[in-house]
Amino acid sequence: MSNISSTSVLSPSVPSNQGFGLYLVVGCIVAVLGFALPFMGLPKNLLSLLTSASISAILATSVGFLVRQAGLSSFGHAAFFGGAAYAVALLVNYTSLPSEVVILATPLLIMVLSGIISLILLRTNGIAFSMLSLAMAQAIYELVMKWRDLANGEDGLRIRFAREIFGVKLSFFQKADTMFLTTWTALVVMVVIVVLVSRSNFGTLTIAIKNNEERARFLGYRTLWPRIVVLMLSAFIAAVGGTLFSMYNGYVTPSLLHWTLSGEALIIAIIGGTRSVWAPAVGAFVFVILRDVAGNYTTHWQSIVGLVLIAVVLALPNGLGGALTSFANRLGGRKNG
Amino acid sequence: MLIQILNGLVYGGMLYIVAVGLVLIFGLRQVVNFAHGGLYMLGAYIGFAAGLYFGFWGGLVVALVLMALLGVLLDYGVFRPLQDKDHMTTVLVTFGILLVLEDVVHMIWGADTISVAMPELFEGTIQIAGSPFPVYRLLVIAVAIIVVVGLTLWLRFSRAGLYVRASSVDALTTGMQGVDTERLSLSVVGLGTALAGLSGVIASPLMALSPSMGSSVLIESFIVVVIGGLGSFSGAFFAALVIGQVHNLGIVYLPNVSSMLPLLLMVVVLILKPSGFARQH
Amino acid sequence: MAERYMLEARGLTRRYGGFAALNNVSFALEEGEIRGLIGSNGAGKSTCMDVLTGRGKNPMGLVMLDGEDISKLSERERRAKGLSRSFQKTSIFHDLTIREQIRLAARKAEADNSEEVISELSLSHIADRPASDVSYGDQRRVDLALALVGRPKLLLLDEPAAGLTVEESLAMARMLRGLSERWKLTVMLVEHDMEVIFAICDRLTVLHLGEVLTEGDPESVRSNPEVVRAYLGSSFA
Repeated sequence: MSNISSTSVLSPSVPSNQGFGLYLVVGCIVAVLGFALPFMGLPKNLLSLLTSASISAILATSVGFLVRQAGLSSFGHAAFFGGAAYAVALLVNYTSLPSEVVILATPLLIMVLSGIISLILLRTNGIAFSMLSLAMAQAIYELVMKWRDLANGEDGLRIRFAREIFGVKLSFFQKADTMFLTTWTALVVMVVIVVLVSRSNFGTLTIAIKNNEERARFLGYRTLWPRIVVLMLSAFIAAVGGTLFSMYNGYVTPSLLHWTLSGEALIIAIIGGTRSVWAPAVGAFVFVILRDVAGNYTTHWQSIVGLVLIAVVLALPNGLGGALTSFANRLGGRKNG
Repeated sequence: MLIQILNGLVYGGMLYIVAVGLVLIFGLRQVVNFAHGGLYMLGAYIGFAAGLYFGFWGGLVVALVLMALLGVLLDYGVFRPLQDKDHMTTVLVTFGILLVLEDVVHMIWGADTISVAMPELFEGTIQIAGSPFPVYRLLVIAVAIIVVVGLTLWLRFSRAGLYVRASSVDALTTGMQGVDTERLSLSVVGLGTALAGLSGVIASPLMALSPSMGSSVLIESFIVVVIGGLGSFSGAFFAALVIGQVHNLGIVYLPNVSSMLPLLLMVVVLILKPSGFARQH
Repeated sequence: MAERYMLEARGLTRRYGGFAALNNVSFALEEGEIRGLIGSNGAGKSTCMDVLTGRGKNPMGLVMLDGEDISKLSERERRAKGLSRSFQKTSIFHDLTIREQIRLAARKAEADNSEEVISELSLSHIADRPASDVSYGDQRRVDLALALVGRPKLLLLDEPAAGLTVEESLAMARMLRGLSERWKLTVMLVEHDMEVIFAICDRLTVLHLGEVLTEGDPESVRSNPEVVRAYLGSSFA
């Protein structure tokens, strides 16, 4: 890792403590507004879109968190997201475990597995890590595609959930207006977790290790396990997203494991911005909504994404979130810190 | 058995040609060019389209020229301006370019697969070990051999080749040797992208064209490059050989896991030697 | 002669292939001493630093800190025992503010004297700025601060004045001297800047081609003909 101050998209600086009060207030308002949304009589399509967006936001948060706290760009998070979705499907369909147990246990299971894989993954850094994460995730994709007996290959699996989960009818989780409450709650919780972690001493330590692993060791710190913890937390959050996806759709397909899903999540995180832990989630909402809107006008959404990614990487290293923050700081007369 | 090995060589050969382009670019610019798969694909499509007017070989020439030009543009417009920034930045930009390329191809030629006819001269089969074997496939192996030999000679004996090898080890010092590094970069990157196009064109009669062909070759060429050791030419050669055989034997004997094997091999190599098979710089 | 030394090094050796960067180097420091380690380029000073702190593989020789053998310990473990170092090539945390990283160091150190260190190194006015955002001279002092936090038993400084102006170097030298007296720090510093060396060192160890040439107080070392010969052409006198 370089000692030179990097101005790239992947090296956020820690925001000053002054702004935190403002963030807290704004965050609370946004959270409350979110809870109110299903009751505002919005059209079904929009709510459905927002539900999908909040699931994407959870995945984007997990990817962005890894970038921010460990400096690692993962091209393999589909393994955690899709892996969780498939784990739910397989456990529900092929074991006699109650659906509730499966839903609660899957993110934890994925988290534990990620801890084991991290011992391999974290032997690398930078681009080697990106490529390794890509390869490992893609191996899982290929496995699922080819092993038809296990997971029905390309056709995917329908999940035979129980009719009632957590004392609530299954339809609660599969209708947009009610599911939104669940996914939004999950998103808020995940964001709160990453905010707390990033502002903690542990968060400071991980940024230090990212900046200069050698000096951290010379200060007396172990530098492997904090990175493992960051990866596990990131995997956990992605798995929560995957679990919610499986509940909402009731169906899993291998595309959930394909590296393009990981790539998309990484793009969203970068466009949203990795300087702040909440920015990737914002990026996800913008992305999903824009994709839907753009779909009415053009079939070239992919090109647009590519071009926006290039533009953001080159011109807005801190993403949209960073641009927003700078703007807000300037409005408030604060120095950009 | 011989047939299996030959088929493995065909696949390995195609893979080598595209992967060595990646190695060239990585050695020079320390950038993993995500757009490389897209360039392979674009080369194949251009070869096909031009081939409708100029025949297979004419199409190949057009594709090579255009892909080389594109490479020069890429180096001039992307790699060079970004060379002082974090490498991940450039990687992400190439990823964005890949997305655009896929969409452009989709836009011009549609999503359906297109099959490409073999050049007439090589349409027949030849008896090998008692079975008929397509002549065209032998051609592919021949082209790959030419590329290997040509590159090795070029790297060993030309000034440009020396520069590329030196750059892979230490870019800064090489720059100070008075070599016109920037102009050399343009041609080397152009060569790298042209090779991607070459592989795409000669692969196209064997594997139909589709807008997703870029992504799949991208992953496999990454695997070759990583296993061979990022930046190592000889490593890429052996890795492509191995992957070619594994890919083929896998399809025949272990169809359920054949596509996983190269990936798992990459994982194993990275565990044992995080720098791949290459000698440590 | 003290009965127990704060730092004892015996037979330090490091080879690169057939080349011995360090060959059987031995010396001992008393508590509270400020020792200068000098020598021309390639004499082995930085290698000596690295071997003492556990940086790099296969260090050979015995290193004892305050009577305890630390030869087999990792750099992390040595820090826990009270051996702290700064770096020739500034090695700090660019995304953290100065205060944040000094506190980070303090959490792993013997005592939390972050604020004291910040003010001693004249970093108070910029303590809440990210380390990437300050001048080179300030960054050098941050590097030093990270090593000073907690009052380590032994402080190894690798060219602390590198890249600093004459005034900055002398200010740093005075500060180090003052801190060493107040906190009873034992210090070994590698330096090219002779002004700094003569301003604060009690004794000097001279390395030449990986071996100890001589040792003694600054004045006698300076006038030692062997030393002068080894430094022929350099601005030593």
